[in-house]
Amino acid sequence: MALTTAPDPTRRGPGSDRAHAERRGPGRFRHSEGLAGYVFLSPWLIGLMGVTAIPMLLSLYLSFTNYDILTPFSEVEWVGLANYERMFTADPSYWHAVRVTLTFALIAVPLKLAAALGVALLLNRAWRGVGLFRGLFYLPSLLGGSVALAIVWVNMFNRDGAFNSLLSLFGITGKPWVNDPDWALETLMVLAIWQFGAPMVIFLAGLKQVPTELYEAASVDGAGRFRQFRNVTLPMLSPVIFFNLVLETINGFQGFTAAFVLSNGTGGPVDSTLMYTLNLYITGFTDLNMGYASAMAWVFLLAIAVITAIFFSTGRFWVHYSDGEDR
Amino acid sequence: MHPATPPTTDAPVGRAHRTPLPRRRLLRGLLAVTVAAPLMFGAAACGDDDGGAADPNAPVKLSIFWWGGDARAKLTEDALALYTKKHPNVTFEKTWQANQGYFDKLATLTAGGNPPDLFQIDDNYLAEYAARNTTLDLTSYQKSGKLDTSKFPESLWQYGVVDGKLAGLAAGENTQGLVYNKTLLTKNNLPEPTTGMSWEEHIAWAEQVTAKTKVPGTQDPSADYKAFWVWLRQQGKDLYKGSELGFTAEDVTKWFDLWKGARDRKATPTADVIHEGNSSDITKQLVVTGKSATSWVWANQMPDLKKNTKDELGVIAYPGDPSAQWARASMYWSVFKGSKNKDVAVDVINFLNNDQEAVKLLGTDRGLPSNQDLRRVVSDDTTDPAMKQSIAVEAELTQKFGKSPQVPIKGHSKVRSELIKAAENAQYGRATTAEAAAQFIEACKSAIA
Repeated sequence: MALTTAPDPTRRGPGSDRAHAERRGPGRFRHSEGLAGYVFLSPWLIGLMGVTAIPMLLSLYLSFTNYDILTPFSEVEWVGLANYERMFTADPSYWHAVRVTLTFALIAVPLKLAAALGVALLLNRAWRGVGLFRGLFYLPSLLGGSVALAIVWVNMFNRDGAFNSLLSLFGITGKPWVNDPDWALETLMVLAIWQFGAPMVIFLAGLKQVPTELYEAASVDGAGRFRQFRNVTLPMLSPVIFFNLVLETINGFQGFTAAFVLSNGTGGPVDSTLMYTLNLYITGFTDLNMGYASAMAWVFLLAIAVITAIFFSTGRFWVHYSDGEDR
Repeated sequence: MHPATPPTTDAPVGRAHRTPLPRRRLLRGLLAVTVAAPLMFGAAACGDDDGGAADPNAPVKLSIFWWGGDARAKLTEDALALYTKKHPNVTFEKTWQANQGYFDKLATLTAGGNPPDLFQIDDNYLAEYAARNTTLDLTSYQKSGKLDTSKFPESLWQYGVVDGKLAGLAAGENTQGLVYNKTLLTKNNLPEPTTGMSWEEHIAWAEQVTAKTKVPGTQDPSADYKAFWVWLRQQGKDLYKGSELGFTAEDVTKWFDLWKGARDRKATPTADVIHEGNSSDITKQLVVTGKSATSWVWANQMPDLKKNTKDELGVIAYPGDPSAQWARASMYWSVFKGSKNKDVAVDVINFLNNDQEAVKLLGTDRGLPSNQDLRRVVSDDTTDPAMKQSIAVEAELTQKFGKSPQVPIKGHSKVRSELIKAAENAQYGRATTAEAAAQFIEACKSAIA
């Protein structure tokens, strides 16, 4: 959705340009250079300003107003912190959405990373057809947060869906998974976990980087498979684990498409799939409380920033960069 | 390496290159502009606009937006083409989509300063838009006769009045309709339900259907605001009274209890199936998916439902006294207040409602035609059996209709979704009926505050 976190390769643009300009020193010449640079940059820059930066700042302003989409900006009323107050004191469905999102992220993200790492370890061996399997396991994540996939998922996990037909072969009577408030969120978690391909590929790349002499040394010292994994693979892989953890956590918090499709945009059954972003969307576009929704978005941004900061600050205790001079 | 690449040279070297510099700079600038410009203007061109239309023959491009399926799109496009044929200067920019997401899109278009000149809206959102001055007040057009409502039932066009302003003109008339699976009943020698059965009788009938056919007799409509509304009116209450709720927690509890009883007697499907049927999507209505013998819909949805099933369907009023139902504007046409083509837009509404050819083209897709003379023409003409059925039922009910309620107030869409949430909480057994009712009242109060 709109809240993508993929690092933008073009972001390096203006920074390096400025660095050039400084090196060149003062003068009219530098000026024209810079100008041409910015003109070339303008399509992207205008995009960034118009589509990201200005709307973001505007939403910060709107979060202090009672903006309702339909009323023109000129008639919007400043309400101070009322939206934030309401969020923290008077809106049970907001906290419900926070709970749903945390539950989702706390369960789905670790399981997804574990699945990715497990499969990456299996696929890191050299055996016939391993390339094919790497491709197959990666495939689901190519489908990403697509609407089509979510629709397929809903139909698979219906009362009379494919999954229950499978269960009935073993004499088990399934549940109406997606239409059962106790299971709908779990169904979404399974969908998220199933798409472990992207972190898996990154883990695979990380595994390839681990020097084989470390394993040789370890086995000479008498370390078994498990010791090798614990004391060689995990520490060597920790920067990659860290990277995947940060990225997947942010992704997990932002889950929207599948929940939207599964619940027809309502967060149902009985709010069981009311993810934070879905609640935000409903508040802004269906209930027309865009000012309040903007406030939610900013609290969300801050929360993600804080969580990421926590990851980074704890990272130095367990992330091991072998190329550094840290030993 | 040194002066070959001017961009990295320093000032003294720059001086040596003084002569070719302006040309080079010019070229570079030109190149940059040619690369950048199409990207910018390409984006800007999306928002272009036709000017005002002071001259009646000046070309006008009118944007129009509605929700509905393929069939409605075809009919509407034909009717609009007819308008263009009669007024060659007016062409249309047509946009349509499914009901789900329609109002999100409409709100976004409005916020973006690019709303359609003319749009379809229903009573769930009319007050939201009217209260925010988004819709044009059509009263002056109605007074001057440019918008002819003389052949409309009085209560029908009045159902478009919000705060004394005519915010939308009824595009058709409908009313609540209980649709049942005729084939299933005949096959099992079961009686068809009839208008005027009490709610208790309806539930008893449904229980009997479940027992005999193994298909649950009736969808549980406790999450359905329109069923709740009819039931309230039969209790002498209403959904809204002025800017307040027209009911109390006790009423809601009674309503939820009625259906809890029905579920306990197996007159309805299980909670997860009820949940499926609570979708506003026509194709998911239980009467067409075969998961229940009835669905609670609007009478004009009959032809659409019929397209989704091979079984024969019947339609009657909701249980209880049918005078609790009213001639409802199934949907309205509204004009955006800031439209530059207001007069043309109003003329198009007038055309779609009062031109015989256009009305015949549109049929009963948006409900019975609002113009009663043309309603007769259309019902004499139609050959579609499902359409005939819904016309017959509505014609019969018209005799019994009670007074129209007020148009639902701002916050109504939230009230609707909160009712679904509360009712499902009770259906899944996650809350008692009284708890669910209390939760609903609480949520309503903050929704309409």
